[in-house]
Amino acid sequence: MSGSKGSAWLSGALLKPLLDSVDCVLFDCDGVIWRGDQVIPGAADVINLLKKNGKRVFFLTNNSSKTRRMYAEKMATMGVSVAPEEVFGTAYCCAAYLSTVCQLQGSKVYLLGSAAMGQELEAVGVRHTGLGPDHITGSQSDWANVPLDPEVKAVVVGFDQHFSYMKLNRAMQYLTQQDCLFVGTNRDTRLPLEGGKIVPGTGCLLQAVETAAQRQAQTVGKPNHYMFDCVASQYGLDRARCLMVGDRLDTDILLGSNCGLKTLLTLTGVSTVADVEAHEQSGCPERRKMVPDYYVDSVADLLPALQG
Amino acid sequence: MAGAFGFKSCQKIRGPQIRNLLAAKDFFLFDCDGVLWHGENAISGAAEVVNSLTRQGKNVVFVTNNCTRPRESYVHKFSRLGFTDVMLEQIFSSSYCSALYLRDFVQVSGQVFVMGCDGLRRELQEAGIPCVEEADDPSATIYDCPLAPDVKAVLVGHDDKLTFLKLAKASCYLKNPECLFLATDTDPWHPLSSGRILPGSGSLTAALEVASGRKATVIGKPSRFMFECISSQFSGVDPAQCLMVGDRLETDMLFGSNCGLDTMLTLTGVSQIEEAQEYRNSELTTNHSFVPNYVVDTIADFLPAFEELEEEGN
Repeated sequence: MSGSKGSAWLSGALLKPLLDSVDCVLFDCDGVIWRGDQVIPGAADVINLLKKNGKRVFFLTNNSSKTRRMYAEKMATMGVSVAPEEVFGTAYCCAAYLSTVCQLQGSKVYLLGSAAMGQELEAVGVRHTGLGPDHITGSQSDWANVPLDPEVKAVVVGFDQHFSYMKLNRAMQYLTQQDCLFVGTNRDTRLPLEGGKIVPGTGCLLQAVETAAQRQAQTVGKPNHYMFDCVASQYGLDRARCLMVGDRLDTDILLGSNCGLKTLLTLTGVSTVADVEAHEQSGCPERRKMVPDYYVDSVADLLPALQG
Repeated sequence: MAGAFGFKSCQKIRGPQIRNLLAAKDFFLFDCDGVLWHGENAISGAAEVVNSLTRQGKNVVFVTNNCTRPRESYVHKFSRLGFTDVMLEQIFSSSYCSALYLRDFVQVSGQVFVMGCDGLRRELQEAGIPCVEEADDPSATIYDCPLAPDVKAVLVGHDDKLTFLKLAKASCYLKNPECLFLATDTDPWHPLSSGRILPGSGSLTAALEVASGRKATVIGKPSRFMFECISSQFSGVDPAQCLMVGDRLETDMLFGSNCGLDTMLTLTGVSQIEEAQEYRNSELTTNHSFVPNYVVDTIADFLPAFEELEEEGN
């Protein structure tokens, strides 16, 4: 269990026992399986071999800009065979949360997000308004008096490249209504785009809306346990026999800790060994939860145990 | 008078107490929105109060976080609303003070990337500070957008033309630790005269702080900088002689507290007396900085005190 002992380099001797102790491996995507649109060398083989060895494999990503189908297609181009049902992105999980937990099936939301988020919402019967560009026109008084759709029951914030002052304003106006729900996909501060460029993440947009509205959103993505709950409820998983593999201590590893999973950090993304040591030595219980059980240079380091 | 060290009573004062206060102070700092006016409507009696203070030889300055207008525009507004002879030199807006900060305090060389409105840009231009061209290149996308060279500061204010692309560019400029990160103010929302609200500079600043991982240097209230501008222009101002009058606890009262000034909350604007009392009763001593020394329903409550003072003078 993360935090109860130090983090261990996943050496050859520890590899096979670890893999034998789990039935299910959950992977983060950006920085673990790929970087931008470049697959991490060996990642495709690891996934395919895990499945061949009878392990269940799922993908948990905070990136809300694609549907599960789009992720499966992206992975197919990288040589990974994955079914959309094995992918849990925040667009899909947010839609699930809104329809099942918030009971908004048949209702409408004001959406700051991508076309992919719109599609995932439609797939579960949640209607939406607000997608796309929305530029400022008129006077300050017009903005403060924007007509609010009376059917809107929630403001939903995901990654939105069309984010603008007007959209921020509309979201805030809806949220002045106390019974309007407020849901965000995730708080990541950066989003890696295809092509390698890194832009401000959903966390920034969410912070803008939260500050203007003076309200906190409920977020669905890692490290919140909801994403794992989604997988577990559909597939009946034994937490003690699950391994979470990620590159970020504050989302992937913390999710693993929160859900009682084994955790493995790969160094092909955001967090470093120095970050691990800092959390380990901090003496703060919250930070200790971000210490992974094991770490490796890359997921390709799992190959020796899978090929033998 | 209970000063910066005393327990702030946050009591409503009237009549003789106001008269004593007016006699004891010779430097009055007024916030504008919610204190002197609501939009285009002067608060009843406010112009008379300001005019009377000036007539009695008091120093009066106006300290506003509103960065959407250049100071000249405020001069016209004061005149339009019946405040006689208010001069440019009495007006301290967060946009004007941002220009002073860049020109005089840090002596910025190079360009400034401004996320703000025309009022802010004009103040910078008047101070001779080069700003990066505002409009996004129409062909620019988040995947590929050109950055301007030699950007030495990013300044965030009230930007109704905010786009994701601007946020992304600002975040890139701020990767350079030598590029300054400034914010006109941190107000999360602004009230309009109708009682409705709009997102404030604070919400944009918060987004950029998350994007860049850096904290902005705040020019406007509650930061001390605007008081330093005032003090510098008036060749030194004694905080003990000052009274800060405002309507927002988290900006005006905290500003006064930070500068060692006595503070007065007027109830014609954003904050309610109950909020002030909650801060006063809070166990967190930092919350006490939001508590005003004095409270009035409206600054028009000064008027009877003037009448008495003027009678005495005759």
